[in-house]
Amino acid sequence: MRQPPKRVSVLRIAVLLAALFELFALVVLVRFTPILFTLFMFFGELLFGVALLLLVGAVLADLRAKQLLPWGPDQPETSQ
Amino acid sequence: MAQELSRRRVAIIALVPILSPVAAAATEIAVPRPKGWIGTVNDWMVGLGIAFAVLGLVLLALAWRSLRTGAVTPTARGWLLVAVGLVPIMVLFLCFSYGLEASSTVQGCGACHTMTPFVRDLENVKSTTLAATHFKNRYIREAQCFTCHSDYGLGGTVAAKFEGLGHVWRYTTGSYTVPIKIAHPFPNLRCLHCHAASQKFLNSEGHPKEAIPDLVANKMSCLDCHGPAHPDQKQAARQ
Repeated sequence: MRQPPKRVSVLRIAVLLAALFELFALVVLVRFTPILFTLFMFFGELLFGVALLLLVGAVLADLRAKQLLPWGPDQPETSQ
Repeated sequence: MAQELSRRRVAIIALVPILSPVAAAATEIAVPRPKGWIGTVNDWMVGLGIAFAVLGLVLLALAWRSLRTGAVTPTARGWLLVAVGLVPIMVLFLCFSYGLEASSTVQGCGACHTMTPFVRDLENVKSTTLAATHFKNRYIREAQCFTCHSDYGLGGTVAAKFEGLGHVWRYTTGSYTVPIKIAHPFPNLRCLHCHAASQKFLNSEGHPKEAIPDLVANKMSCLDCHGPAHPDQKQAARQ
């Protein structure tokens, strides 16, 4: 069985982290306590931040691999 | 017949926990809502926050599905951008705004049991403490604890929120001593922000004009004459 590229696994991790963030936010909105909100401020935002970084990194890497970006080592050489 | 009666009884028993909050609310004075009432900003923030969070979860499921092929297609990129990038920003904004507001309420402060004597005193209509007088007469409409314990303006709010983080840390780790004491002397400016411009304050014999600079400079405290602000904690705990 073929393994999916590393980028896809990274994107799946980003999706999972974003889902955890959404669930955390739901808990804060439905059952608010100051302690829960404080935890959300530190850990919830951290989850979202990491998910966003992973998304941007993986998408850029994917675009670069497909030579859709005008920079990077994968850019095809142009003949003079 | 007997079977039908028992069925009705079961239905009534099942309805009691659902209807009891409604019955409790009915005992309070029913002040009619203004015409066109659509809820408070906080109600909307909670409602929209929940809606966006649920929408986000659905979109994340779709984004996960779009990655099934093992390749990052343009469609998958679109789902991912919306589900991981855009919707959570909305959820974060709504949750954060709601949290900042909700943590400023009396219920928010009272969530920690160390605050119970203070909140109980506020709600005691027989109490003559300064805080209770302000609370029961609605001199401050809402967020009564936060209003008196934060300086005015954005800087005051930010400073109070950071102090609140410290309170949560000390409460969670148990690194506090009882009875609780205020961290800094209470600045008169927090009182004067409301009272200084009132005619009752300006024309009172108890506030001669020559004493006002001392009040502004915190050389004498409003609480010297108008205290205590809160009940004695040991006594309140016994009640």
